[in-house]
Amino acid sequence: MKKSARVAIAALALLAAPTVLAGCSDSGGAAPDSGPKALSIATMTLPQSLDPKDATGSALPFFQAVYDTLVKREPDGSYSPMLATEWKYNDDLTELALTLRSGVTFDDGTPFDAEAVKANMERFRKGGGAQAKTLNDVKAIKVVDATHVTLELAQPNPAMLFYLSDAAGLMANPADFTKGDALKTKPSGTGPYDLDQNLTFIGTRWTFTRAPGYWGAKLPYDTVTISFFDNETAIVNGLKTGQINAALIQDADQQISAESDPKVKTVKQEFDFQGLVLFDRAGAVTPEMRDPRVRQALNHAIDRKTMLEKIRQSRGAITNQVFGTSTAAYKPELDAYYSYDPAKARELLKEAGHSGGFTLKLPRIAAIVSDALAASLQADLGAVGVKLVWEDVDAGSAIKRIFTDRAFSGLVMNIGQSSTDWVVVGELVLPGAFNMFGYTDDTVKELLPKIQGRDAQAAKAELQALNEHLVKDGWFVPFYRMTYLHVSDGSVTITPQDGMAVPSIYNYAPAK
Amino acid sequence: MSESAPAGAPAPPPAPPPAALGPARRTGAVRLLLRHPLGLASGAVLAAVVLAVLLAPVLSPAEPGVSSLRDAFGGPAAGHPLGFDSAGRDIVARLLHGGRNTLGGAVIALVVALALGVPSGLLAGYYGGWFDSAASWAVNLVMALPAMVVLLASRAILGPTVWVLMVVLGFLVAPAFFRLVRGIVASVRNELYVDAAKVSGLRDRRIVARHVLIVVRAPIIIQVALVSGIAIGLQAGLEFLGIGSGDTPTWGAMLNEAFKNIQRAPLLMLWPGLALGLTSGALVLLAAALRDVLEDRGAAPAARRRRTGPTTITAPRSAGACAGLLSVRDLAVSYALPGGGEREVVHGVDLDVRAGEIVGLVGESGSGKTQTAFSILGILPEGGRVCRGSVTVEGEEIVGMPERRHRELRGNVVAYVPQEPMSNLDPAFTIGSQLVEPMRCKLRISKAEATRRALELLRLVEIADPRRTFASYPHEISGGMAQRVLIAGAMSCDPRLLIADEPTTALDVRVQAEVLGLLRRLQRERDLGVLLVTHNLGVVADLCDRVAVMKQGRIVETGTAEQVLHAPQDPYTRKLLGAVLDHVPARRPWQPSNAEVS
Amino acid sequence: MLSFIARRTAAGAVLLFVISFLSYTLLSIPDIDVGRQLLGQGASQDLVDARNAALGLDRPTAVQYLDWLTHSLRGDFGTSWFSGEDVTRAIVNRLPVTVSLMIGVTLVTAVLAFLLGVWAGVRRGAVDRFVQVFAVVGYALPGFLVTLVIVLVFAVHLRWFPAIGYVGLTESFTGWLSTVTLPIASLAVGSVAGVAQQVRGSVIDVMRQDYVRTLRARGLPPWRIVFRHVVRNASAPALAVLGMQFVGMLGGAVLVEQIFGLPGIGSMTVNYTTRGDIPVIMALVVFSVTGVIVINLVVDILIGWLNPKARIT
Repeated sequence: MKKSARVAIAALALLAAPTVLAGCSDSGGAAPDSGPKALSIATMTLPQSLDPKDATGSALPFFQAVYDTLVKREPDGSYSPMLATEWKYNDDLTELALTLRSGVTFDDGTPFDAEAVKANMERFRKGGGAQAKTLNDVKAIKVVDATHVTLELAQPNPAMLFYLSDAAGLMANPADFTKGDALKTKPSGTGPYDLDQNLTFIGTRWTFTRAPGYWGAKLPYDTVTISFFDNETAIVNGLKTGQINAALIQDADQQISAESDPKVKTVKQEFDFQGLVLFDRAGAVTPEMRDPRVRQALNHAIDRKTMLEKIRQSRGAITNQVFGTSTAAYKPELDAYYSYDPAKARELLKEAGHSGGFTLKLPRIAAIVSDALAASLQADLGAVGVKLVWEDVDAGSAIKRIFTDRAFSGLVMNIGQSSTDWVVVGELVLPGAFNMFGYTDDTVKELLPKIQGRDAQAAKAELQALNEHLVKDGWFVPFYRMTYLHVSDGSVTITPQDGMAVPSIYNYAPAK
Repeated sequence: MSESAPAGAPAPPPAPPPAALGPARRTGAVRLLLRHPLGLASGAVLAAVVLAVLLAPVLSPAEPGVSSLRDAFGGPAAGHPLGFDSAGRDIVARLLHGGRNTLGGAVIALVVALALGVPSGLLAGYYGGWFDSAASWAVNLVMALPAMVVLLASRAILGPTVWVLMVVLGFLVAPAFFRLVRGIVASVRNELYVDAAKVSGLRDRRIVARHVLIVVRAPIIIQVALVSGIAIGLQAGLEFLGIGSGDTPTWGAMLNEAFKNIQRAPLLMLWPGLALGLTSGALVLLAAALRDVLEDRGAAPAARRRRTGPTTITAPRSAGACAGLLSVRDLAVSYALPGGGEREVVHGVDLDVRAGEIVGLVGESGSGKTQTAFSILGILPEGGRVCRGSVTVEGEEIVGMPERRHRELRGNVVAYVPQEPMSNLDPAFTIGSQLVEPMRCKLRISKAEATRRALELLRLVEIADPRRTFASYPHEISGGMAQRVLIAGAMSCDPRLLIADEPTTALDVRVQAEVLGLLRRLQRERDLGVLLVTHNLGVVADLCDRVAVMKQGRIVETGTAEQVLHAPQDPYTRKLLGAVLDHVPARRPWQPSNAEVS
Repeated sequence: MLSFIARRTAAGAVLLFVISFLSYTLLSIPDIDVGRQLLGQGASQDLVDARNAALGLDRPTAVQYLDWLTHSLRGDFGTSWFSGEDVTRAIVNRLPVTVSLMIGVTLVTAVLAFLLGVWAGVRRGAVDRFVQVFAVVGYALPGFLVTLVIVLVFAVHLRWFPAIGYVGLTESFTGWLSTVTLPIASLAVGSVAGVAQQVRGSVIDVMRQDYVRTLRARGLPPWRIVFRHVVRNASAPALAVLGMQFVGMLGGAVLVEQIFGLPGIGSMTVNYTTRGDIPVIMALVVFSVTGVIVINLVVDILIGWLNPKARIT
């Protein structure tokens, strides 16, 4: 094997020889925009379009380049003024008054004002985009005057400011709303950059150039290029050879590869947790799931320590809770609530009347559930009598099989841990995608209203109680929080964004 | 379609040896393959792999799916000789069981491809007509299908298993078999033995089974080896793209899994990579060996090096001693055998040709006449060499002469008129360019001058419309014309000695006489010496001054044509003379065969 | 000749029509809920249905196909469902990448495979065995392994070439050359191996032809016989194989495009087919089938030029 590879290489070296020189002499010219003021970011997220109504959290950097949000989310998760300079809730948290920045105009001279905010938000809410639901609680948008607007909420929503710093807060030029699908490929906002149509190949490479006369502080780079890749191997290779300045690497093996290069700089961030989300707590698909003891047994059956060590190569931290470390609900001791104890798991199953075991069918999305994860879960659950059957689902059919057909009791996936408690509650506890059967119980029903009406810090006790209940009742089977690696080729300092896997476009600066 | 259950049909015993194939194929292809070093080695590797994979449940100590994550990336341990993969599964077990699926998948792809491609190819090639048109159109369609889209879509429809992918792959490669079979069958359809079979009343089904299948068998076997290699490689590639086999262990899946952990455990790549590489490498080698054996291409003989074996030049003679144009003394020719060693086919031949003399070299086919002629020209086929004796042309010793010097003699001094006119003209060039080229090369004359001479030569060999012939391609002229062209070619550089190897056998009787007359005329006009190799004593009687009779590599009788024909001394000569009276044409006349244009 | 091309073009058009229909049907069968994929798991079913209706997915497949056909006949391939890009523009942007690779590999293969194959077929002996070994190794090594090794050695380690990315030919020639060299080399290993084998076989066959012996008997120098007569006669079958390689390369290009992060149509095919982005895939189908038809036509014309017997009049 080795020898034959060498033969092949030798033959290729011969073949490549004449062009090598050309390649060398031109290494500078090959990347004309790699000066100190250009930034090249790699991503594995493909935005559906650059129309804000289609925006999603993971594609946010694309939008941040062209559009500004009403509220800016700082790297530590705090909010600061952007297009809105001030905001204030009324006492029962059902009205949010925004003061808008004056003197900001879109490229064609259209002023940014309260009417623009109203037009944007109403379009977003009805636009049928993936994030449209985040404005579900907004009952009405009242224009007070040119620089004041008030959001009337149907019920308190502690995550509203987060949403305004996210997709729902992106402000596009209302003049473009009448031009059909123009915004999809020709975005127009008040943001720090413009999309350079000549150097942009949608679907593969987007080039943003500095917008003349940007109202705010200039970002350090004249041009920002975001390139799409479908595998991390290419990204890491590109980082090592300097064609890419910055990227996020999730895969443990690729992280090792990136770290092996002395030039590459890395910053760690724990964002996603990996685990089994059990939707079927009412036992609609797998009746056995109805019993909390069964769900607890699953939690006891898996050997998280070995999984973390072997699958993530110890890059992460074991957890039993779905709330992230920066939330109010987080309780450190809950990370190790369930010990690896197959005997106890068998015991619990026996108590629940399932000593004979049962079959659990789960969808397998190859990108998330690696061979090792699939096999080890099968082995661990098998050891306590639960027969785990994987059904392979394609990228194309996964969402339909899981969310429309509701064919499974749960789903192994990676879920981002927002630092906003209510975002977590909304995603995982309230009826919705990850609680598709709308399951709830008395404890949850009792705690939710107390949480919803208040600021997270104020409701800390209730949030922690909720978290503890979810863990002990076995709502989920979390495995571990995964360490992601922000890597740069050494020329860029990357500041991770709290509550988001990909850094905001504002978080890159030339390394000193 | 039932009539053509193809590859499985038993090989019928004594079919007339098809001209298109070498004689070797009948004499135990398997045995030859076993003697072929590459064939033996690759066959052994494949057999070992297949056996190991078939016996997977027995050989493998563990189940391929059983995982113990704690052992992940673990090295060899008791009962786990190759250690564990990233999920803590036994590598040996996965290799063996994975091989089952990988090879099984390849077999499925092959079966589908063969089942679709071979019968339709047979029918289309044999019957032609509407079925041929329809099938060829369908094949064009399949070949133009975007394979990736078809594979992905079928996977989405039928489920992500390796079997589905392999069935689809079989469908996609079936055209390769169809084209192969159709092409060969169409070209042999009109061959003599099939015609003969038709005349003798065999039904189509029997003809296909008996004669046609034999012809396509070897190319199909070779193609099978290549396609299985492709199927195995493609399966691994698809796995890498995430279009894989799901839970089923395959070598491709193992390799892909190893790739994902390449930083942590690069050695995981080794075993599946080795298994894949070894198997597909063995398949390619086997295909090459099969081609060598079945299509008689010879196993890359090292003969070139061995040619410098001992050559005994019989005591060099002074130029005066052999005043003749050509003098051959004690010439022996031997051939390297595939298994090593040599076999002598010409044993000590003596022969003389003087200027202006036509000498007939007579004998049955296989008697060594042509070998003798080739050794004088220095164009023995690969593996053959002059191992003894002396050949002088115009007093110059040819045996042991440097190739470059010998080449200078060819054309200018010694020229050659071959036997089959059509196969001796390069089909890709016009007659004119084939005449002009040697003249420009040998005589170093301008193109215009060479063209002028070529036209003159064509007139000389009594071709009616030299300009038209000059511009024609070989397939556009008749056999008799082609032979005249070849004679013109031989004469183009004014040689002293003409070696004509059965120049008329392939022609029909009327043209034979004309060509012989032409030779006679040229010989007289130009005072040529001619060595006429023939089995036809009638020709000898017409043309030759002297005759040498050859049998089994030896000259049994020489003398003037008068003497030999009228008072033969040797019993063999008498037998030959007796055979002539029967007037059976020894070989079928040449027929224009440009009916098949693929 | 012209009527031949016209006939082939007409046949090609029919082929294109049939394949487009087959592809559309094939792509419509899988249970892919496009609206759901676009809007994500959180969207309500009403929204999903509305989005599907907006894309015209609520109509029968035949109607959808006819709609596609009428639009595409006018040159309008629509916009991608998933990325919103104009399909024609997207493909035209990516086509140069893949076409660069395919043409580059074909040229490299043609030259190297012919040299190696002729060398092996003429010289036999040790040279032959060397070429055979190379061919077997090149053929047997899994493509992506070769590619990975090439990236690691020549890009990551030696830094001779960039590891990823593509520079357009129009932007900078040397840039283009440096970005396509390694991908082409990766693809060429296998195809050179395959075609060299074919050339070797054909050369050996031709070398045994009677006319080669006759040419020798005419006293022509061996190199002249080989390069003028043997190569030309051995080219036709090799060319057919080369043509098939070219066509098959669209598949092989996927791997190389992914590893080198090249924005070509190979990786596009895989990504968009898995998601079920029918407008994009259909346009890709049209482009690739057209490509195949044109290549086959060119190969046939070339073979006719090489082999007068098969010449079309």
